[in-house]
Amino acid sequence: METLNNMLYGFQVVLTFQNILFVFIGVLAGTLIGMLPGLGPISAIAIMIPLSYGMDPASALILMAGVYYGAVFGGSTSSILLNAPGISGTVATSFDGYPLAKQGKAGKALAIAAICSFAGGTISVVALMLVAPIMADFAVSFGPTEYFALMLLGLTAIASLSEGSTTKALISATFGLIIATIGIDQQTGTQRFTFGNPNLLEGIDFLIIALGLFALAEVCSLILTRKKKMFEGDQSVGSLKITRSEAKEISGPIARHSVLGFILGVLPGAGATIASFMSYLSEKKISKDPSSFGKGNIKGLAAPETSNNAATSGAFVPLLTLGIPGSGTTAVLLGALLVVGVQPGPLMLTDHPDVFWGVIASMYLGNVFLLILNLPLIPFIAKILYIPKALLISLVIVFCMIGVYGVSFSTFDLYLLLGFGVLGYLMRMFSFPAAPLILAFILGGMMEQSFRQALTISNGNYGVFSESPVTVSLLVISLFSLTFPILKGKLSKKGNLNNNNDLSA
Amino acid sequence: MLKSIDRKVSIVLFVFAIIYLIASYRLPAFSYSIVDADALPKGLGVLLAILSVLLFFQSPHEKPAFKLKKEEVAILLSVFGLILGYILLFEFLGFLLTTIIFLIVTSRILGYTNWKSIISVSLGFTVVLYFSFNYLLQIYLPQEYCHSRKEGLAWKH
Repeated sequence: METLNNMLYGFQVVLTFQNILFVFIGVLAGTLIGMLPGLGPISAIAIMIPLSYGMDPASALILMAGVYYGAVFGGSTSSILLNAPGISGTVATSFDGYPLAKQGKAGKALAIAAICSFAGGTISVVALMLVAPIMADFAVSFGPTEYFALMLLGLTAIASLSEGSTTKALISATFGLIIATIGIDQQTGTQRFTFGNPNLLEGIDFLIIALGLFALAEVCSLILTRKKKMFEGDQSVGSLKITRSEAKEISGPIARHSVLGFILGVLPGAGATIASFMSYLSEKKISKDPSSFGKGNIKGLAAPETSNNAATSGAFVPLLTLGIPGSGTTAVLLGALLVVGVQPGPLMLTDHPDVFWGVIASMYLGNVFLLILNLPLIPFIAKILYIPKALLISLVIVFCMIGVYGVSFSTFDLYLLLGFGVLGYLMRMFSFPAAPLILAFILGGMMEQSFRQALTISNGNYGVFSESPVTVSLLVISLFSLTFPILKGKLSKKGNLNNNNDLSA
Repeated sequence: MLKSIDRKVSIVLFVFAIIYLIASYRLPAFSYSIVDADALPKGLGVLLAILSVLLFFQSPHEKPAFKLKKEEVAILLSVFGLILGYILLFEFLGFLLTTIIFLIVTSRILGYTNWKSIISVSLGFTVVLYFSFNYLLQIYLPQEYCHSRKEGLAWKH
């Protein structure tokens, strides 16, 4: 009953003309940016952040959240039509989505993707609504040691779960923490690594890093692929109709993978990409006819599409209730929230109920908007794929520049942005993942603070980290998560042949 | 021995870690804190050094790095130069003029040939962006240098 009341309150927040407009702008921008191959949800959010300056916190988060799940929703369109996933969370969508499109059933594939995204998104918002308050209640008792251990777990989890070398991911994370040490120390007032430059006293703004490492670096990759046309000729997407038997067929995967996706989204480090792969592989495993996967099986399309959208709502659980993001994307969302003056965490439910329930209610509305945008309107929206890349690239560059200039009004920050763009591109070239860096950068300040708070309370005694059972178990899990890649390596060697087939399918 | 790219990168990282450590040891001490401002940087420096050594020894089997064509490098560098020029001129020429020029030149260099749409998109986009920032978001983008100086003088009188 209480949840129901809170939900009604949330809808009260959302159902004003202004906030409905923001939900719509958010999901529309998310869909469009997510659809463009190359630009992911982090870039989408970072590009939209300047719009939220001066907004009240609830509206700002409603807008940004809309951009996030909108991007995951929209990313499937280019996966299906072009076999060029707009975002990494929709890579698994292309395995069966693109074959369907090649068979001339693009419309059907898009419709299934939209319905599954809608179902996955909506079911997991219900779960978010039920789980989040419980989690917040539990987290109220957390002290600095628990927070420190939790953030450490977030970092080790994202490092061990990211693609490629774990060492490289850990180096990215360490580098993010190092960048976070620039500026005036919060406890002693010591200037660290500012080199006497007044522009660095307050540290580097997270928007510069997000836009540089993601949007600008993605622009570099777009430049290199600019000659490939995004959309060939005048293909029409075909009929959007789904038969009754098909609807029946996808209802199983929807039920299974909205739960799986939500759980994986809540866990630190996982998120939409891992959720979609896990769902695809598990759906294939339990299927009676696994050989049809990869050739246009609608279950193989439904599973990852449900799962990645469910995972995006799941990712809001740790963000809203603990104030600790579990992925690069939610880290940027947290940064955006801090800009408008809200510190998410267990107290947010009592301090800012409008933000908390408002954003949850907005997700129901946003998913309805997305369904409308992605079902009847999809043939029109897919036209954005006709935009010549050369124009798109220069427009994105200007967006990044203005976004950064709008926060600081200093050209020094623009040079920094360019520098981080180059760094981001180099990281891609040498295959260092960028998500651990941004997560570590956002967590860096908070981690240091809780670490030093804990030691100040205990008067320098490190034993304080072994006093609480929650802290100890979190520390043990984060240590264990680092051994996960070694285990994974051994397992994949054993089942090498099978796995290779699975991922390249 | 230095053939693999990862090894070169790991050496750069190791050198960076050492420089960072030296800088951390030079941070001034604050006498009233239990954990001083230099604690975390020192730890991070050591961690980065260890990780770069790990990377050095972990990198034997690696695919050859992706090679870029010379023309592509030239394009990347010229876009870099254009962005640099954009930043340099941004506050001097003002947002409107610099952005329009930047959009036209960059789209052209990236190989888009349709003049009509280049010019109309550049003009339209810039003007819409300018008005939405200045009036909707009330974030004031720089105007032309001479213009704003005149306004500044008028304000002083």
